[in-house]
Amino acid sequence: MELTRRGFFKATALAFAGSMAYELSTRSAAFAIDGDADDWKLVNTEEYTNICCYCSGGCGVICSVRDGELINLEGDPDHPINEGCLCPKGAAMFQLRNIVDDKTGEIIHNPERVTKPLVRRPGASEWEEISWDQMIQEIARHVKDTRDATFIDKEDGVTCNYTPAIGSMGGSQQNSEEEYLILKVMRSLGIVAIDNQARV
Amino acid sequence: MTGHYCDLSNADVLLSCGSNNLENHPVSSKWVQRALDAGATWIVVDPRYTRTASQADIYCPIRSGTDIAFYGGLINYIIENRLEQTEYVNEYTNATYLIKDSYNFDPETGFFSGWSEADHKYDTSAWGYQVESETDGAQAWMSEAGVPKYTPKAVKTIKRIASIDDTSNPDYKHSVWAIMKEHYSRYTIETVCDICGMDAATLELVYKTYASTGAPEKSGTIMYALGQTQHHYGSQNTRIMTLVQLLLGNAGIAGGGVNALRGEPNVQGATDMAMLVFDFPGYLKWPSVTDTPTLRKWLETQPNAQGYYVNKPKFLIAGLKEWYGKNATVDNDYGYDWLPKIPKNGAIYTTIGTFELMDQGIMKGYFAWGQNPVVSDPNAKFNRNAMAKLDWLVVADWVVTATASFWNAPDMDPSQINTEVYLMPAALIYEKSGTIANSGRWLQWRQKAVEPIDEAKPDYEICDMLWREISKLYQAEGGACPEAILNVKWDYYVDGKIDPRPVAWALNGYEIDDSTDLGAKAPKLLPNFTKLTADGKTANAIWIYGGFYNNNADPYDPAIQPVARRHTKIDSEDGVNGKEMVPVPDKDPGNIRLYPSWAFSWPANRRVIYNRASADAKGKPWNPDRVLVAWDDSKKEWIRNDVPDFGFSTTAEDGTVTHNPPEKCPAFFMKDELHANFVTTGMKDAPLPEHYEPFETPVEKNLLNGALNSPMIKFAENESVKKGDRSQYPIVATTYSITEHWQTGAQTRMCPVLDEIQPRQFIEIGEALAAEKGIANGDEVVVFNNRSEVRMNALVTKRIQPLTVQGQTVHLVGMIHHWDWTNRYSTGEVTNELTPNVGDPNSFIPEYKAFLVDVRKA
Amino acid sequence: MATVQYELNRTHLAERNAYAASEKAILFDSSRCSGCKGCMVACKCWNMLPSPMELNSQEWNASLQCPYDLGPNTRLTITFRELDSTSPYRPVDWAIGRRACMHCTDAGCVNVCPTGALFHNEDGLVTYDASKCIGCSYCLGACPFDVPRHIGKDDLSGTAIRINKCTGCPDRVSHGMNPACVTTCQPGALQFGDRTEMVKIAEERAAALKAKGYENASVYGINEMGGTHVIYVLKYGLDGYELPANPSISWMTSASEIMKPVLGIGFIALVAGLGACLLSGIGYRRDELRYDEVNHDVIDVDTGDIVKHIDKEAGER
Repeated sequence: MELTRRGFFKATALAFAGSMAYELSTRSAAFAIDGDADDWKLVNTEEYTNICCYCSGGCGVICSVRDGELINLEGDPDHPINEGCLCPKGAAMFQLRNIVDDKTGEIIHNPERVTKPLVRRPGASEWEEISWDQMIQEIARHVKDTRDATFIDKEDGVTCNYTPAIGSMGGSQQNSEEEYLILKVMRSLGIVAIDNQARV
Repeated sequence: MTGHYCDLSNADVLLSCGSNNLENHPVSSKWVQRALDAGATWIVVDPRYTRTASQADIYCPIRSGTDIAFYGGLINYIIENRLEQTEYVNEYTNATYLIKDSYNFDPETGFFSGWSEADHKYDTSAWGYQVESETDGAQAWMSEAGVPKYTPKAVKTIKRIASIDDTSNPDYKHSVWAIMKEHYSRYTIETVCDICGMDAATLELVYKTYASTGAPEKSGTIMYALGQTQHHYGSQNTRIMTLVQLLLGNAGIAGGGVNALRGEPNVQGATDMAMLVFDFPGYLKWPSVTDTPTLRKWLETQPNAQGYYVNKPKFLIAGLKEWYGKNATVDNDYGYDWLPKIPKNGAIYTTIGTFELMDQGIMKGYFAWGQNPVVSDPNAKFNRNAMAKLDWLVVADWVVTATASFWNAPDMDPSQINTEVYLMPAALIYEKSGTIANSGRWLQWRQKAVEPIDEAKPDYEICDMLWREISKLYQAEGGACPEAILNVKWDYYVDGKIDPRPVAWALNGYEIDDSTDLGAKAPKLLPNFTKLTADGKTANAIWIYGGFYNNNADPYDPAIQPVARRHTKIDSEDGVNGKEMVPVPDKDPGNIRLYPSWAFSWPANRRVIYNRASADAKGKPWNPDRVLVAWDDSKKEWIRNDVPDFGFSTTAEDGTVTHNPPEKCPAFFMKDELHANFVTTGMKDAPLPEHYEPFETPVEKNLLNGALNSPMIKFAENESVKKGDRSQYPIVATTYSITEHWQTGAQTRMCPVLDEIQPRQFIEIGEALAAEKGIANGDEVVVFNNRSEVRMNALVTKRIQPLTVQGQTVHLVGMIHHWDWTNRYSTGEVTNELTPNVGDPNSFIPEYKAFLVDVRKA
Repeated sequence: MATVQYELNRTHLAERNAYAASEKAILFDSSRCSGCKGCMVACKCWNMLPSPMELNSQEWNASLQCPYDLGPNTRLTITFRELDSTSPYRPVDWAIGRRACMHCTDAGCVNVCPTGALFHNEDGLVTYDASKCIGCSYCLGACPFDVPRHIGKDDLSGTAIRINKCTGCPDRVSHGMNPACVTTCQPGALQFGDRTEMVKIAEERAAALKAKGYENASVYGINEMGGTHVIYVLKYGLDGYELPANPSISWMTSASEIMKPVLGIGFIALVAGLGACLLSGIGYRRDELRYDEVNHDVIDVDTGDIVKHIDKEAGER
């Protein structure tokens, strides 16, 4: 069956709060058919396009959102690569955030997800909660202490400005803008031990 | 990928080798099936009969780690039977170039010439060309104000023979063609079968089928993944596929290419962005103490003498301008010396070496950004013990990964581990906006759909908090080289809040002067990377992304940018959001599924790179039904279904554009010699790929030469490696992913439905080996070698068959690697405790795919 | 091909005017299926069906086939069978199949359902109205494909019990979308459309497979159970796919059809009694029973006893 869909960006933009204001997604005529049945799962949902977070095929997905919560996630039928299809991992992306509780049948936030900053103190066998501000201050202090104590400014008379004592791993999970920011922070600190998931 | 996913459907023959693509890149199934429906033939070469193999027309088994023997045999088969695409080879490759007398390969020893035992490396210049003459490489822009002074490389004219059939030429034997022909003449069908373990009839069928794409109008595509790359000669595995594709004229055409199916959502982006020890964004070299100690040295050694890469200085200097803004000036070498330089022993800073540095107490702090190295890196038990010596560890992730909780592993005693560990809760991919690059180099925009739960934050916000705090400390207290930190430009704000859009401007490139402040005002975005300059007037974080976000109609609106295109036509009445879109072509020009009006493909929205090679020297397409570019001689212009990967036009001073005739448009203008390379000096370990055995091999000798392992294998001497011998551990093991889970499982084991459709870690064992070991299907078994022992359940199957290699029976077992001790739904053990932490000298990739173990019933 | 065995069913068929132009079907082409199980996940996610959350509580049968069978919260599972190879160019004939409601025209479950909870919708697919289900469980015994499953306790007390099975996603279909499983299928092994069209595609595909050397390739569902609304292309023939050669409705199903007017007025005790009778004949409790593939015996895992022998030759399941 052919699904007919019009461009996502043609219709009027909804005004969303805060940082979502510029996203300019709209309700979709294809999925979120208005109110002909109250029990239609996607009634009155807004749709946002995203890209799958697994194999790098770059499959398009549509996130259906009602009242700020994710209601459904499935393949984007307009997308030329996946044409609306998703593999099991992609089709399960909804569960990264929300799952069905197997005891109650209710939709709940996935309890496996970590949503508060945590710290594990030296020698401790448990995590403790910590505020973002406190955590960032502690990390910055660790970074500075380690960097200052190990910084090498010359090798064979050549200015080299690096620290061998800090490493940074990762980036393939982030968006490209974030990759640049991570790279910029890490390299500017003098880190040479930089790698990402390119080899795993 | 040199092409992209949809382009797989244009192939006449598809070859999956080292890629279980239906399982691990399931979207490929759509495009492979379309090719098959159109009459294509699909070959799968794999040690296991996978779900991918089950769909193929021809399945060929292979012993893990012997791909170069397999491909070398194919090259020999092509050359011996003259099945190469001769005109392509003559016109577009360096086959006719003459190599220096100093080139040699000695099958007795397994070494090429140029080896230095003292330095334990090759002097690759021993494999270089015979130079006929040199001319000045200077270009007008190099002397403009603001461009640093340097002497560009001289353009070399190389000695050549007339064609690959110029056998009477006295220099013929020095030609690349003759050298390659001789090199692979040892790779006979019999020898290959004796090394790889398949039978001759199957191998010949594979060779015959794939070599049929040497016909000019035929296209063959190779799909590969970590099965090819995760060997200590993984880079050479990749190179030899390139050799095959060049011989058959399959590079730069629709339905062709050497297609890495990359395994992480934005690993293409992370590679582009140079999140790697030796790289600078856009595949430039990061400054190093040894090769590029000064900016001038970089400018004199890194750019090519001719072709497009004479422009590298523009890309680097625009990159430095983005890094340091107004603090980067021509007088301070644009801040070049503030960047850290890779020290002499740079290799130890790659992943494998990093854990050695921890173990030695040199590395004290570590960041893991959405990566789980405690599970994904080889010799995992050694690694987590090394991590216990860290002072501090910072992990940003969605779950409490094994890396974050390494101190809590079953064999660790937390009270003895003094590492302070911070876990930063990260936003999911649909809880933030930004750009992602797929395998086919398509840059696509992700829309934020929902707010992060609770206190989770996007990584860009985490980065910003961290950077501001660190900068504050250096501002207040000083410290080691504070100028390297305080001179950094950090202005990626909208309304005072960190935001991915100003970063997108930086990735695209824009005009910069001393008053530029991205946080205050949007800059003038550059249309593409050809507008970058080496005089400090442009800024760009990564030149290859130039043009992906260039619509000045509203730089704050991603929806009107090329990255967010959804087949939007240029002539649509109201554009998008009432704003004008950057002009885009039709949905499917040429009817070959390039889809240029969807998103943006770097570089320059080019969908198939090297596309000049899709047409002959006169610009006539090899296949009139699959036209990427074609020269229209009557109109004197290029038909462009794809964005040409060559200088197709010249703009005169008055703005008149004329198209350059085909003979002025070399096919590989990104190469210094303007031709694709068979023999190269660009690899550290060999000018031509040569078969070596895995570090841990089940055979006694290398049948093709006198060296068992590659002489350039990295890290093999480290004590932590604990090499296993075939007498103790006779079984070949390989690791891989399955379609239901992903990588270390941190993301997929958190989804109950994925745990339900594949709940258990398993080892696949063939029926014969299982019978020999008394193992029944489902039994718990212990897999062990010198590095560790790991328990998991056996999946006994007909799909893994023993192979006969050098007269002996070799069994293979396969282990998935998606489990560890963490997670509330499903737990297991860490497969990578068994893998050897040795690697490739070019890419430093570990050898996960072939090593030795033994198995017993638990 | 199966013949319709009972007078009653023939009448039923005629009344329903099978394969009207409007009827739809799901096409499953096993030769395109890569066994990725995306369909299973899409089904669960769209229909909000839970998966086990207790640590390591998921069932595993030393196979890629997980879950091994349909369950109270599993409407669809992909099956894997390793058959002896019929070609020198592959080590095994690896049959990848699909197990879910077949949406029969001559649907035992519909016939037997005393309350009309199970019914054919306008597309010909067998869906259900959960609010009408009284949990009698007749449908479990009536199904020749062993598809419907209980949700909740199997106490036969009535009100708390509901059955679960594939509905064909009528909510999606009525909104112009494909069923969730079909939507997500990357290789195009699943299609949804007019039944006549799906049958045509299936027959062409089977012929193409035969031409490629898959001699046993066949189509299933054209006539079985009066014609099913899931049409299968079987790459390796019937043996690899957990499908009965000659599916039929058991005598009790027919009997219950006769008794339907009586049952429909709500004699719960009678319902329970007949339900227990039907259940004892089938006795599928896969979490405690093991199926011996070689001898086709159902074995009690605890005692090792053969609970039931399945006569495959006779089309029994």
